[in-house]
Amino acid sequence: MKNIILVGKPNSGKSLLFNQLTGLRQKVANFPGVTVELKSGQFGDYRLVDFPGTYSLKSLSRDEELAIEKLHEAMLSDATSLVVCNLDATRLERSLVFGLQVRDLAHKHNKGVVFSLNMIDEVQRFGHEIDTEKLSRDLGCAVYALSAKSLIGLHEFKLAIQDAAEHPEDFLPTIKADDESSVLQISRSLSKRYGLKADIVLKKQNRIDGFLLNNVLGGVMFFIIMFLLFQSIFTWASPLMDGVEMALGDMAAFVSNSLPDGIVNDFITDALFGGVGSFLVFVPQIMVLTFIIGLLEDSGYLARAALICHKPLSYFGLSGRSFIPYLSGHACAIPAIMAARTIESPRKRLITMMTIPLMSCSARLPVYALLIAVLIPDTQYLGGLLNLQGITFFILYFIGIVTALLVSVLLNKMTESDKDKADMPFILELPTYRLPHWKPLMHRVLTSGKQFIKRAGPVIFWVSVFIWVLGYFPESGELQSSYLAMIGHWIEPIFEPLGLDWRYGVAILVSFLAREVFVGALGTLFGIQGADENIAGLAANIQADGLTLGAGIGLMLFYVVALQCVATVATLKGETGSGKVAWGLFVGYGLLAYCMAWLAATFI
Amino acid sequence: MTLWEIKTKQTALIDGLDPTLVPAVMQRLTEMGFASGQSIQCLRRSPFKGPIVLQLGDCVYSLEQDIADRINVSMN
Repeated sequence: MKNIILVGKPNSGKSLLFNQLTGLRQKVANFPGVTVELKSGQFGDYRLVDFPGTYSLKSLSRDEELAIEKLHEAMLSDATSLVVCNLDATRLERSLVFGLQVRDLAHKHNKGVVFSLNMIDEVQRFGHEIDTEKLSRDLGCAVYALSAKSLIGLHEFKLAIQDAAEHPEDFLPTIKADDESSVLQISRSLSKRYGLKADIVLKKQNRIDGFLLNNVLGGVMFFIIMFLLFQSIFTWASPLMDGVEMALGDMAAFVSNSLPDGIVNDFITDALFGGVGSFLVFVPQIMVLTFIIGLLEDSGYLARAALICHKPLSYFGLSGRSFIPYLSGHACAIPAIMAARTIESPRKRLITMMTIPLMSCSARLPVYALLIAVLIPDTQYLGGLLNLQGITFFILYFIGIVTALLVSVLLNKMTESDKDKADMPFILELPTYRLPHWKPLMHRVLTSGKQFIKRAGPVIFWVSVFIWVLGYFPESGELQSSYLAMIGHWIEPIFEPLGLDWRYGVAILVSFLAREVFVGALGTLFGIQGADENIAGLAANIQADGLTLGAGIGLMLFYVVALQCVATVATLKGETGSGKVAWGLFVGYGLLAYCMAWLAATFI
Repeated sequence: MTLWEIKTKQTALIDGLDPTLVPAVMQRLTEMGFASGQSIQCLRRSPFKGPIVLQLGDCVYSLEQDIADRINVSMN
C-alpha cells in the first residue's frame, strides 16, 4: 500500500483534518528504535500518515529532530506517493514558512505536493476571501480551501488528493528558477497579499488572554481549573465506576450460581472477578482524566498554563514546558516522559523526566481510591460541591507534586557543574482559543481506556492467577496455611514497622511490577479469605478487617512516592540513555517511600 | 534597548538579534519572524519578571527574560 503523508505546523488543525480523512479507525505506531508517534489511518486505497507538527525543518528540541528525520526518510522513500501540507488560513505567514520548506524539500525529491488551506470558515467569518487559484499559482502547488471542522470543501479535497495520489507527476511543485528571495520573504509577501490582518485574527484571543493571563485573575483561574480537574476525576467518574462494579458483581453472582461449588467456581469468582474485575472498575476514571487533559489541550489553555507556570517552575530548575509532561504524568508516566522531549533545555528535560514518576499516575488511582474509601468518611461540604474524599485525593496528588519539586531542586544542585552546556531558552507560541472538536477527543479517551487495559490487563491477569494459586493450595481454600501465607510470613518483618500484615506485604511486593496490581492482589487475598464468597466491595472487607489510620496513611504515602512500574523504569532507561539513572531512581524512590510510610505509621 | 525593556502596549521595531545566540535558537527566532525591521508589540508581562507576551505578525509568542534581553529593538 502506498503512503500519503500529512505534515503541518502545530496548532494548524492538522489532527482534526487527519481524523476527518481517515475516520476513527487509526493505528498509532511507535517506530522501531525511536518513539516518535506516527498515526496512520486508511484513506481510500492509501495509508495516510500523520506526522507530528513542527515549526520548521530545522530542529530545536529532541522531538522535532526525530520528526524531521522521519520526514526526510519518507521523502526519500518510494512508498510515499504524495505530500499533503496543512496550512492555517488564519495565520498564513507562520504556516507558509514551514509550508515552503516542505515544498522545496518535495521539489528536491520529486514528490507531489497538495496544500490544504484549513480553517477557511474562520477566515470567511471575518468577511475575508482568499483567492486560492492565484495563491496556488504563486506557490507553484495545488491549494484547496477547506474547514475540517465545518466540513466546507472537505469532499472536494478528498477527491483532489485521491487524484493527486494516483497521478503525483501532475502535482510536482513548480518553483520559479529566478526567485532568489528566502522562504521568510516569500511567506511574508504572500501573507500580505492573501492573508487576514493580524489584529483582526488576534482580537478575540487577546481579549480572553486579558482575563486568563491577568496577573491576579489568571492565577486564581489556574488553581480553580486544576482543582476542578481533580474533583471531577472523583465525582464524574463515580457513577460510571459504580455501573461497572454493579455489572461485574451481577455477572460474578450469575456465574457463581450456575456453576457447581468447587475449585473452578472458586477460581472464577476469586481470581477472575475478584482480581481482574476490581481493576476494570477504574477504567472510567482514567478515561475521564484523559478527557479533561485533552479538553484543556485542544482548547489552547495548556500553553497558557505553561506560561503561567514558567517563572514559578524556574525556581526549581524546571521550565514552563515541564508543566505539560507533569500534567500528563497524572494519566501515565510513560507518555509523559516522552512528552518531555519538547523541553528544549537538555538539563531541564532530564530533571523533568526524573521527577515525572512522582506525579500520581492513573495506576495509583485504584490504590488511592481503595484506601480513601477504607479510611476517609464520605463527608459532603457546601451542599455536595466538595467532599472529603475528593479533598484527600487532591492532597495526595499535591504531596506527589511537592516531592517532585523538592527532588528537582536537589537534582539541580547536583548537576550545577555541567551548567556550561548551553541552556535552550523558553520560547512558546500561544495558539488561538478553540472549542475542542468531539471526534479526536473521544478517540483519545477511548484509546486511553483501551491501552490501559491492554498494557496492564495481562500482567494483572497472570499476577491474579499466580497469587490465587499460591493462596489456594496446598489445602484448598485455607489461606492461613497456604503457600502464600508462608511467603508472606517470611517477608512480614519488612512491613511490620509500617503497621501492615503479611497480606499487604504480598500485595505491595507484587505491585512492584505495576501498581494497579495491588488492588487486584488484595481483592484476591480478601476474596479467598471471605467466607461469603461474593464481591461485596473490597473496601468494606478491609474496613471490617481493620486497618489502622496511621498504617493506611503510610500506605498511601508509600504509593505516592515509590516507583513501582517496570514499564516506567524501562522508558526512563530508554529516554535518559542510562540504566544507572533509571534503576537509581527505582531504588531511591523506594527507600524514600518506605521512610515516609514508617514515619506515618509511627507518629499518627 | 532590548525587547525586555519595552513596556506593556508599546510597539517597537526589531533591530536585530544578539549574534552570540546559539545558531539553532537564532534560526528558530528568525523563522518565527524575529527579523530586523519587523514591528513587535508587548501585549502583557507576567509578575515577578516572568515571561513577556508579544505579538509579532500573525502570532502571539511568549519569551523569557534571558532571550528577550538578547533581541535589540528601537522605538519609532
